[in-house]
Amino acid sequence: MKFHISRQMIYILTLAVVFLIIVFVFAFAFLIPSGKAYRVARLDTKKVSYQVDSIQAEYDNVYDDLKTLQADNRHVISAYKSIFNPERFTKMYRPHFKSFTLSELSTHSQDGEFAVYEVNTSSLIQSPQGFYDFLDGVNKSDNIIGVNFPIDFKRDGDLIKSSFTMHVYIASAKKKMEEVKIEE
Amino acid sequence: MQYSFIKPRAKRLVSPEFKLLFFFFSITIGMLFVSYSFLKVKTLVYESNMEELLSKGETLKEGIVSMHEDIAFIKIQRRHAEGIYTENTVLKESIHNLFDLVPEKITLSQAMLKEDELVLYGVTPSKEVYEFLLQAPLRSIFHRSYTSYYAMPNGWYSFVSKNYLDRPVQ
Repeated sequence: MKFHISRQMIYILTLAVVFLIIVFVFAFAFLIPSGKAYRVARLDTKKVSYQVDSIQAEYDNVYDDLKTLQADNRHVISAYKSIFNPERFTKMYRPHFKSFTLSELSTHSQDGEFAVYEVNTSSLIQSPQGFYDFLDGVNKSDNIIGVNFPIDFKRDGDLIKSSFTMHVYIASAKKKMEEVKIEE
Repeated sequence: MQYSFIKPRAKRLVSPEFKLLFFFFSITIGMLFVSYSFLKVKTLVYESNMEELLSKGETLKEGIVSMHEDIAFIKIQRRHAEGIYTENTVLKESIHNLFDLVPEKITLSQAMLKEDELVLYGVTPSKEVYEFLLQAPLRSIFHRSYTSYYAMPNGWYSFVSKNYLDRPVQ
């Protein structure tokens, strides 16, 4: 039996083979690698997203801790930042004394993270109670102030003449050393 | 005169079978392109998202480090402030105790307080009064205590008492 293939059929078969080759080449060269890349990108994104979520959770925890700490220590934080104003300080604490004067602030020295300014004080008190009240008040003042030795009490008639040194501490000394100005 | 029993068909450049085959393969290749484009676009979207996530992660990490530094600094400030407040309170208590220590019979004219030293100037009716009422408690507080007396015309004594604390050598 003679098998006859027409010319038209040959064209169609050739075209079919060419198309199939194109499809296979396209699938293997482009589609499958891009499918793999897509899957890898999706998995990586999921993994990174999970990591970022855990970092976000840690961030939120640390943020809450920081806010709580800031709220609990608001007075201390603002006290370390505030600028020492001798006039205001004298006005605030004069009621504890008969007379109260501050010397000019010395240039600062460094105590760890803090800049320390020294101010000499002389005052007249009627009884030691005024000095005790002053020490209680200093702990609640707008600045962090330490009363330091030497402290000298001397009788002056019915009054006591006292002189002592105070240290005013200001925070972020390293960062803000140049910015810190002491109001005169 | 007719030579064929069928009517002649119009000859076409492209046969219907060829058109059909072309149509199906075009659809196939079109679908492949659409799939490829979809995958490419989605991959780009994922990669872009990942970059954003990585950048966000870095920002968050930097934020965490910065907040930890802030927390540490606040803790340093709190410790430092508490130390100063405590020192002020201890100072107040020390001065309070010192003035409570001085009996009514003895009058102080000057008190100098240093870190490890207390110098008192005053007047006492007699050496014994001073030694029993003030010297004894001072000796229990300070490691070394020296007193000098100066006789006054009215029979009383003015005294200078120097008291020292010996700090342990570190």
